[in-house]
Amino acid sequence: MAKYVAKRIGLAFMTAFIILSLTFILVKLLPFERPVGGDAQQIAYFDKQYNLGYVHRFDRERPQYGEYLYKTPTNHGRANYYYQVPVLEQYVNWLKNIVTKWDWGYSKTFQPNVSAAVIIGSRIGYSIRLNILSVIFSVPIGILLGIWAALKKNTMTDHTISTLVMVFISIPSFVLISFILRVFSYDLNWLPSSWPTESASTAMKVQGYIIPVFCLSFGSICGYCRFTRAELCEVMESDYLLLARTKGLTRSQAIMRHAMKNAMVPIFPSILAEFIGILGGSMILEQLYGIPGIGKLFVLSLNYKDYDILFVDMAIFTTLGLLAGILLDLSYGFIDPRIRMGAKK
Amino acid sequence: MADTNNKIEFREDDFVLIQQDKRVTDKKLDTKPTTFFKDALRRFRKNKASVAGSIILGILVLLAILVPILSPCNITTVNTPEAFLAPKFFEAGTGFWDGTRKMTRIVYDMDNEVPALSGKYSIEAVKASLVKITVDGEPTKIDAANPYGQGGVVVLATDAAVEGRDTLMSSKAVNFDVNGEYKLDVVFSDEDGVSSSEIGEYAVYLKSGDDTIMLRDFSRDYSPLSVDISQILKENGLDSMRAQIVFEVKSAVSGFQYVLIESAVISAKDTVENAEDIAAVSIADATDFINESDTNSLAYWSCTGRKGIHNSEIYYCDYVIDTYELVYGDADLMTYSATELNNWIAAGYCTYDYQVGPESFVKLSDECPIDVVDSQTVMGITKKLSNITARGFGYRKMGYDKMPKFIFGTDASGFDLFKRAFAGLRTSLILGVCTAVFCFTFGLIWGSVSGYFGGSIDLWMERFCEILGGVPWIVVMTLCILHLGNNFFTFVLALCLTGWISTAHRTRTQFYRFKGREYVLASRTLGASDARLIFKHILPNSMGTIITSSVLMITSAIFSEATLAYLNLGLQGQQSFGVMMSNNQQYLGVYPNLVIFPAVVMALMMISFNLFGNGLRDAFNPALKGSE
Repeated sequence: MAKYVAKRIGLAFMTAFIILSLTFILVKLLPFERPVGGDAQQIAYFDKQYNLGYVHRFDRERPQYGEYLYKTPTNHGRANYYYQVPVLEQYVNWLKNIVTKWDWGYSKTFQPNVSAAVIIGSRIGYSIRLNILSVIFSVPIGILLGIWAALKKNTMTDHTISTLVMVFISIPSFVLISFILRVFSYDLNWLPSSWPTESASTAMKVQGYIIPVFCLSFGSICGYCRFTRAELCEVMESDYLLLARTKGLTRSQAIMRHAMKNAMVPIFPSILAEFIGILGGSMILEQLYGIPGIGKLFVLSLNYKDYDILFVDMAIFTTLGLLAGILLDLSYGFIDPRIRMGAKK
Repeated sequence: MADTNNKIEFREDDFVLIQQDKRVTDKKLDTKPTTFFKDALRRFRKNKASVAGSIILGILVLLAILVPILSPCNITTVNTPEAFLAPKFFEAGTGFWDGTRKMTRIVYDMDNEVPALSGKYSIEAVKASLVKITVDGEPTKIDAANPYGQGGVVVLATDAAVEGRDTLMSSKAVNFDVNGEYKLDVVFSDEDGVSSSEIGEYAVYLKSGDDTIMLRDFSRDYSPLSVDISQILKENGLDSMRAQIVFEVKSAVSGFQYVLIESAVISAKDTVENAEDIAAVSIADATDFINESDTNSLAYWSCTGRKGIHNSEIYYCDYVIDTYELVYGDADLMTYSATELNNWIAAGYCTYDYQVGPESFVKLSDECPIDVVDSQTVMGITKKLSNITARGFGYRKMGYDKMPKFIFGTDASGFDLFKRAFAGLRTSLILGVCTAVFCFTFGLIWGSVSGYFGGSIDLWMERFCEILGGVPWIVVMTLCILHLGNNFFTFVLALCLTGWISTAHRTRTQFYRFKGREYVLASRTLGASDARLIFKHILPNSMGTIITSSVLMITSAIFSEATLAYLNLGLQGQQSFGVMMSNNQQYLGVYPNLVIFPAVVMALMMISFNLFGNGLRDAFNPALKGSE
């Protein structure tokens, strides 16, 4: 068991390493975007890059390195010239920086000379808060709806719930957000139509959470509902439940003690995975509602052509995705005794 | 049977025919043999929701193919006059989906009795196309000068919290004399705390050069002031005086001070010469006063501090307007060039002689776009007609034969949203189908090889998929677009790069399921090759699931394209559904039809695709056979 877990984590680590390496090289292969700002800012930026090993610094022109990226203002006839380091060399230096200093680089144009870790740190809180709220909100509702539909299988209730779930699961998130914004923000004027600013009142800030949490939860509610219904329906038709009924348990006893426990087995791991997974799924919502989270950061860094920040953001999404995958696989094994992890086929 | 030298020899009489004279009572099956696919189709047809889904899907696909070809509307060159038309499906006046738009909380112009509109619409046009107006009973009070506002009080305030920086508001100099019965009536308001300032001390006086005559000395007395100027002149022993009326607000060390003036009216005998002057100097209506002094260069009052308005009364109205009537309706003064006119004359639509003038216009045929010529412009030197202005229907000028009808309305560029939506949908569908076909083919081959051979080949192929599949699609798409530009080819490539993995995975699972079955073993014992086993025996059995997943891949391609457009990475150079939607998103508050209609099309598309896909999945699932 422990061996399997270790192997699984090791593999995921390797996967992450390969993906991040490829992404880093691909991002670095993009045409170099010059930083913005005055000379002081430029010098600060290039010196940082020099210290991290991403640019060369010479006190005279070296045409063999190509066109220089930046030339410091002449100081008594002396100037520094900055040249780009070959991408593979940058890659090696990047690895070194990560391992020794945990340094993920600096912003170039978006928030010049602020480290990526600081930018991500200032934004990830919003995304996490939203996702925690949405999980808290969607899990009970989704599971309860699913149970209700399963218990009333093939009745009007079940059909209504199933149809609604099918409809809402099909509607793309941006369509749903548009509708909700239109109705609740513009027509009824109940809720703010974009994320409240820092100076807004507490009541306003609380209201600002309603639409994003609702939009994020919608897909999850539908997903949980469908999943729970399918699982519970399957369990309800199983022989052991029939046995439980024949030995004299009432329907509710049989469902509560036998069916529910087994039906929940595959649902809990999916909650765990979802919790990690949807962190990346709120990109459109953050963009449309103006939430200053890491999804919005992705769009901003793209617009600013700030590829170092873009890379770190991409790295977060990749890692989260992989983490969710492992968690899902491992938790199945921990929760469901029927599944033996790492067993030979 | 003789056994010699271990050889078996058969002779004819070794065999005995049995049951030769028995009657076979078994019947040959009358029913037609069915194949897997036929059976699936039969079961698909039984599923009503899926059939409904496929019909809607069919209609949408048909529209996506036909609308861009058949619709004559222009969706390439910007045409601002036709922008933001409301959706129109029924004839005007039906009250629903008829090209009218409800405008809410529009400032109402009480003088002209129309909503106050700017720019595009003329008052006549608005009046003509108004369907319903409601004015709130009570006016709204605002603290800003509005051209359509009324009443309120003038706020005269100091502009610095410094002692000695008094604010003076002085009128133009006016001639007063003892015989004119000149009177000044000022009404003040004593409301405190306006714009978080403090009501302060003030004085009113007459000023002529260095001489001043106090009318009310510095005080906090906000009761109405009524003085007889002629009487005061007499008391001061003056015959006449050319003086300014001055309001002075005393400044304080801290906080801004102000005084509120409701009105300041100068009246005189009817016979005085300067009646116009004193009327101009009088402040009868605070809002009018502020509006005039802000716009009029001949300001009758000058002010050294801040001057503003408080509680200006304004009416708002809601009304329904026919957007088509404004753009395409009967309109006056539309300009046509002489060439156009000559073409009509040549075609026999009308006659016109520019030497006679507009009266000579005779309309001969209904084909002629204009009804009446209003005026003409003749070139100065050549004396030739350069253009005419005429009355006619707007749609004729814009080249339509009849009043156009845009069922989804038009967008900011004046494009028909209906055509744009379906042109975008067509691009999305082509994108989806291209992706699905590639992913299906490649994933199938990859999955077959991986699943069939197993072992270390499978292990390595799986590792490869795992790594590639670990990259979020958004990262793949972004990197591809950044490197290769956002064109159609890049989108197909980027979607295919990771899209095939799910098909491969599914195929592999199916192969693991079927490759150990007896029929495969039987075929293998008979010497079938690997290729034959894969393509003839195993694949057909697993085809159903794989086809279903490929169909659903089309929806995910459409979804990805739209999502990227929202992240500003949309498809360029083609009609794109996502780009259209994300561009229209900004109008959600004002012109919701621009977002809602495409959203409904998108949602319908996705729902019907999913219904169709679910139906396929159930139909192809042999485990569900006979369960319904």
